[in-house]
Amino acid sequence: MDAPINRRSLLGLLGASAASAVITPDRALAGATPPGWALAVADIEADIVPQTLSLIRGRVPDGLAATLYRNGPAKFRRGGTASGHWFDGDGLMRRWQIGDGKATLAARFADTPKRRLETKANAIIVPGFGTLPGKGLEMTGPDDGNAANTSVMLAGGELWALWEGGSALQLDPDSLETRGFKTHRPELRQMPFSAHPRVEPDGTIWNFGGNGKNCAIWKLNANGSLSQVKVIDLPRASYFHDFTMTARHLIIVLQPWIQEKFVLPLSNSLTWSPEKGTQVLIIDKDDLTKRRIFELPAFSFFHLGDGWEESDGTIRFDGCLEADPTFGQRTASALIRGEHIPAPRPMLTQIVLRPHGKADMVAARVVAEFPASDKRLSGNLRSITTHVTGYRGPFPHAVASWDWQTGKSDSHDFGDYQLIEEFLFHPRGEGERNGWLIGTSLNLKAKRTELHVLDAARVAAGPVATWQADLPLPISFHGTLARG
Amino acid sequence: MTRFRTLIAAIALTVPAIATASPDAAASLELAFNGIESQQGMIMIAIFASEDAYNGKGAPAKVTGVPATSASVKAMVGGLPVGRYAAKIFHDIDGDGKMGVNPFGLPTEPFAFSNDAKGEMGPASWAAAAFEVKAGANVHSISIK
Repeated sequence: MDAPINRRSLLGLLGASAASAVITPDRALAGATPPGWALAVADIEADIVPQTLSLIRGRVPDGLAATLYRNGPAKFRRGGTASGHWFDGDGLMRRWQIGDGKATLAARFADTPKRRLETKANAIIVPGFGTLPGKGLEMTGPDDGNAANTSVMLAGGELWALWEGGSALQLDPDSLETRGFKTHRPELRQMPFSAHPRVEPDGTIWNFGGNGKNCAIWKLNANGSLSQVKVIDLPRASYFHDFTMTARHLIIVLQPWIQEKFVLPLSNSLTWSPEKGTQVLIIDKDDLTKRRIFELPAFSFFHLGDGWEESDGTIRFDGCLEADPTFGQRTASALIRGEHIPAPRPMLTQIVLRPHGKADMVAARVVAEFPASDKRLSGNLRSITTHVTGYRGPFPHAVASWDWQTGKSDSHDFGDYQLIEEFLFHPRGEGERNGWLIGTSLNLKAKRTELHVLDAARVAAGPVATWQADLPLPISFHGTLARG
Repeated sequence: MTRFRTLIAAIALTVPAIATASPDAAASLELAFNGIESQQGMIMIAIFASEDAYNGKGAPAKVTGVPATSASVKAMVGGLPVGRYAAKIFHDIDGDGKMGVNPFGLPTEPFAFSNDAKGEMGPASWAAAAFEVKAGANVHSISIK
């Protein structure tokens, strides 16, 4: 870019959170053929007409009726230009529906200002996590860069596509047509509402927005209306993608990947300083000024699991911890170029914060990403964390449930040709194993995306039902399940 | 964010009386605004006669406003010497006389620049927004988004 860029304006616009990645000089191997996993980051050119899926294995469990909304980037390249990062493609909202003995798929792009501008320009010009601004860029606020591509939630009957540097984007839950950015109050336009809200058993929604040293804390009512939003100060300008909570406390994990300068690309502004360790900030939900900080050895992370509190005040939560931020910084950029830069694997780890101020980490010793659990227990004692695992190359090939009480894993590997996406728990009755695990995979051999249902009590038995779409969709990030 | 704050400082002005053309003006300027989505409040206008002033290192040459009563409204600016100018505009929808900002200081009310110049990540530059005001009657159209 020719024009000088003011660091605060750029970071403000993208959300410092967007500064999570880097375009490195790593070169794709000259003349290399596309890797076997290229479909994982391929482009989808248009919305997907609703289709009925083919049941290719098992049978539909009796009485199962569920809708799985999933979101993820699905357009990375235009006119010879490309996104600089996996996290920067246009969001494609998928709706997988199981019921009446069949399953269907519909998918539609989030119709964002970014997508409109880049369609018109026939070039990738809107800056993102690891993408530089291009010629013809017009930005008047963070939502002009909003890819609406990271996650999705239902609130009060509304469907929201979530990103982390800007507003939620409201879509029609049936047609998936874009309605516009969710504005709770006019003065809250352009405020970041991150991709990882946490929901209490009564439906109360908590979320954060923005990084750097200022962080907005959102509290919404179960019907999606605004209860409060407050901006709090953080002790360091750490990058974080997710937070967690117990019934009484918000938990913000401040990894030592800290914004200390400004250079382009943005993620070069973040410095990994392991000597500073990781801090865990505990905030009282009833009084956001009441806080405690725990110190831990350095780790990096994207995703955390729901936390809980014991009677003596001990707080526990788990996360998928990485030894350093190589994945977000380099690996996820290189994927778009068809290159795999190995990064430290995410390891499932429980973090224990004791009332006298000491913090410990308990390693499950299993590779894990996309943690999920029984949402009925949000903020309360639980033992099961479902996650993807079985990484070979850049993507996982297996799903598993880890039991923190027994220290045992129940897992199913789908095989080398299957790239596994997040699986979510859909309850059938009482109990953390009494339900279904519903998720998707990209079958590289069949070149088709699949929808799977597993019995949560018998993961190793593999899917009780698998459906196949008539096309491959690129790997998506996060979803939400609804009954019916 | 600082550049957005500069923009806000430059055009967050109290609601002035609507200017009328001065009889001895060297030139008159009609600013024609269109694309106004919310028909309430005021279109607030600050006109600058130099790059320094435009960039916050001086006062605007003229400050005026016009009620946003329909999708297209016009403001007459009189008393401008012939020369090169650039305008910063925002739509004060809530009528509080200030450009609305969210808790992080980012604009929440529509804004625009002369020439329909777009900022890449902040205000449009003087070079992109500057236009000539010649002797006699001048008309300049701006879309508010």
